[in-house]
Amino acid sequence: MTTTGALPRPGRAIALYALAGAVLAVWAFPVVWGLLTSFKTERDVLAYPPVWIFTPTLANYRDVLFGPSSIVPNLFSSLVVASLATALTLVFGIPAAYAMARLRFPAKKTTGFYVLATQMLPPVGLIIPYYLALQKVGGLDTYAGLVVIDLTFSLPFAIWLLVSYFEDVPVEMEEAALLDRAGRVRALWHVILPQVKGGIAVTTIFVFLNAWNEFMFAVVLGGNRVRPVTVAMFNFISVEQTQWARLAAGAMLAMAPVILLGLFAQRHIVKGLTVGAVKGGGRR
Amino acid sequence: MRAGTLEQQERSFALALLVPALAVLVLTTTAPLVYLGWNSLHRIDLGMPWLSGFAGADNFAKMGSDPRFWNSLLLTAIYTATTVVLQVAVGLALALLVLQIPKGQGLLRVAAILPIVLAPVVVGLFWRTLVLAPDVGLVDMVTRALGLGSHNWLGDPQLALISVIAIHTWQWTPFAFLVLLATLATLPPDVYEAARLDRAGAWQRFLHLTLPLIRPAVVMVVILRTMTALSAFAAIFAATGGGPGSATEILNLYAYRTSFSELNLGYGASLAVVLLAITMAISYAMFRLRRARR
Amino acid sequence: MSPPIRRRDALKQGAALGAAAALGPVAGSVFAQADDLAPYRAAKINWKQAEGETITVAVIPASYFENLISLEPQFEALTGVKVRFEKVPPGQIRQKALLDLSSKTATYATHAADPMYYPLYVSNHWVDPLDKYLNDATLTDKAWFNYDDILKAWRDADSIDGRPYGIPYDGEVTVQVYRKDLYDAKGLKPADTLEQLVANAKALTDASARTYGLALRGFAGAGQNMYIYPSLFREFGGSWMQGNAVVVNSPQAVQALQWYVDTLTAYSPPAVRNWNWPDIADAFSQGTVACYIDAHSSAAVITNPEKSKVVGKVAYARWPKGPNGKRVTSIWNWGFPINAALSDKQKKATWLFIEWAASAETQARTSWKFAGPAKRSGVNRVSAWRSSEFAAAMKDAGDNFISAALESLENDTDVDWRPRVPQWPAIGETMATAIQAALVGQKKPKEALDEAQARITQILKG
Repeated sequence: MTTTGALPRPGRAIALYALAGAVLAVWAFPVVWGLLTSFKTERDVLAYPPVWIFTPTLANYRDVLFGPSSIVPNLFSSLVVASLATALTLVFGIPAAYAMARLRFPAKKTTGFYVLATQMLPPVGLIIPYYLALQKVGGLDTYAGLVVIDLTFSLPFAIWLLVSYFEDVPVEMEEAALLDRAGRVRALWHVILPQVKGGIAVTTIFVFLNAWNEFMFAVVLGGNRVRPVTVAMFNFISVEQTQWARLAAGAMLAMAPVILLGLFAQRHIVKGLTVGAVKGGGRR
Repeated sequence: MRAGTLEQQERSFALALLVPALAVLVLTTTAPLVYLGWNSLHRIDLGMPWLSGFAGADNFAKMGSDPRFWNSLLLTAIYTATTVVLQVAVGLALALLVLQIPKGQGLLRVAAILPIVLAPVVVGLFWRTLVLAPDVGLVDMVTRALGLGSHNWLGDPQLALISVIAIHTWQWTPFAFLVLLATLATLPPDVYEAARLDRAGAWQRFLHLTLPLIRPAVVMVVILRTMTALSAFAAIFAATGGGPGSATEILNLYAYRTSFSELNLGYGASLAVVLLAITMAISYAMFRLRRARR
Repeated sequence: MSPPIRRRDALKQGAALGAAAALGPVAGSVFAQADDLAPYRAAKINWKQAEGETITVAVIPASYFENLISLEPQFEALTGVKVRFEKVPPGQIRQKALLDLSSKTATYATHAADPMYYPLYVSNHWVDPLDKYLNDATLTDKAWFNYDDILKAWRDADSIDGRPYGIPYDGEVTVQVYRKDLYDAKGLKPADTLEQLVANAKALTDASARTYGLALRGFAGAGQNMYIYPSLFREFGGSWMQGNAVVVNSPQAVQALQWYVDTLTAYSPPAVRNWNWPDIADAFSQGTVACYIDAHSSAAVITNPEKSKVVGKVAYARWPKGPNGKRVTSIWNWGFPINAALSDKQKKATWLFIEWAASAETQARTSWKFAGPAKRSGVNRVSAWRSSEFAAAMKDAGDNFISAALESLENDTDVDWRPRVPQWPAIGETMATAIQAALVGQKKPKEALDEAQARITQILKG
């Protein structure tokens, strides 16, 4: 990692480290706080001033995982929905993005704008039409139904994102592959796709994230069978009381997969996003 | 090969690749859009079913004289503009500063992921209950310790807007930070050496060298963040529900409340149509902006 | 302890003893309770007339529904009807039910309904009138079911023009809840009038020690601050309807709102403006608040030894009288309607479910007979409230719990407590916003109510 200048003087360095520490605290505190709360008893949670030193308990996690309102089925639900949505988005989106980036065909500009526009649809306006449509085809409270609806938002986003990666593949490389009598499909599969691996990774992560965190449609279009974690967490906020500690434990478990995914793929995400931006700007 | 056949080949290949995705999109977006448009042309009020019927452009005409509509437009503009500008400014400033301390970067980049991956509905809920609650919330504890007193962060109309802007900015600034940090890190150092030899000041270096070089990244961040801000819903919904009153009721939320709380489906649909038109106009402008920069 | 014998099996096969004993430990808590179906069989109807149907019931996550859900196997054994429960977050259940009813998708056979929504349901013909089910001898054994035993206030709340559209299952009543020990220490009595309430609050407020004398809901919402305000409004002599118009800015309305604002500003924690009842209950159980007026069922929270520091120090009383001499409590209940879009056989199955859930026996089984820790306190029948078993189950709730609640239910309820019009959802929201605007000091009460009136007039005009 290069720097844009000489290293700072010691005093300045300390100030900068302090700032970095503050920023770190601001960004990390909800997760840290949630983690702490999830190990507290309900009584400790309500204590004021807040207790920092307390006897930790695993009871909340036990209740949330094995108790009557176990969120394990919900985690499973979320996993199925998010995975299916991501897989289908990639299967449909990658070819489409390649076509939009590289190939010539009639009405290309219009198609491009259409894809972009569908991403602009306000979810608010679509809740009722989707509910009615799914009900007619018996798709309410089914994985297929919710996944298809998720596709509506993730597909245009994925295409739009992937197009810029495809555009960054050197034209010469593609032309060389074609000259090689490779045939278009083979050229695409063996030569071009490996070049956009980073882009595909980034897209996968974001699409999975969006599907996992989705709330509004999950509530309206789901039911007993399809009940993602974002909805299930409200089980701990009943009309009678909020079970803070259990809610925190539930939230931690619900967010753990995506947090881990984000941490693990953090390098990828950043690399992928910047490559698309810088190269794209500098060249043309 | 003759040019004609190559072109045809390319065209049919392109179609084969595109058709599945387009089919899904057309299927899932056309019918709902038609339904939405249809509803917006009708009077459909579940609370007063005897009034239902065709209304033509009445719903849209009503919007013009609806103060709550204009309020929501204004709020949407303020919310979007403020959060995007803040995210880019803060993200960029942080990135520039952190560049100078390579050791701190790794940890900060890991922490930056955390706000981004949390579900917006969880973020809104969390801020409402633990951070912004008067008296026991974190922010209030800090302001009271600093002698600034206790405030109703989500209950006071002005503070509520500031609060939801703060929540959104908190969640998405790390995104701008990460992208810009990585972009800045790829800039060639020799250009800066040359500028330093030329006795150019830090601010001048920034303005004339750095900015132009990172412009594409900034533009990309602005576009992505604007789209997120325009469709922001879950976090505000969980934090304030659009209130107090209509203080945080961006157009998105106004359409939702009209349809689902006031049960005026026709008017709610027309609001959604207007929102769609606005987002499309903005995205078209952004589309052109990106093309021009490239 | 050996599991009770399932009489049905014994009667049918005679050798079921062995089977039941083998199943006992595996079957768990349902069998540990009295699952003897004889009390239901006493009803002279054919419980199995809708056998084979499956119905879906939407409820909110709450202990009083959880108890019912755990008894579903009993219902299924009794009728052969399978019930699937769907727990919807309280913020979304009305919307989801509305979506289902208005588009006639028949997803939910019945749901836990907000009584203020019945005018809306009925004017759209989305739910069936239930008198025909009540009067049908093949479906209801009137003597056994004893509809009139259900609290009158709740029956009326779920009826329109005298016809029932929902059967109350669980409900609550707002009462004064106060710290007996703090009151005794200062020689205070539970307030009989609103002035006394203020005086008590004043005596116990010490902001520097973070103790406050009173708390009432402030959180904006048709079911939140608009849950307490209507009582105040009626106690000041206001009435919602003037002729056919809904009027919310009458002088009494302004007075009531002014009282609300002044009292909370002076004697409540500053955060009260955002508080809903769980927050108030939490504050009370931590000793921050000395008195509040809210649902009696909050007793479960404030007497929960896991969280509360005030166990054993709680007492209850009725609403204090307002300037017009009346006490006005809420008439909230969760009732079950029947979705009009169902088939006839499904409607029968749904009615059997409702009859079962609201019957005296099931009320008992989800309350004092329930094997788990949460015993329902919002039972729907006068006989249940008056029973000694209920008193025994509620003995830890605090002093005067049953008498305060029951007296309130029998004397202080008011059907016109809120405007019963189909446009209630929009009106409720508008009023909630106005109340909060006044509470936070953004607008003066008169201004806030005038604005609300303008908007409501517009809503009603359409």
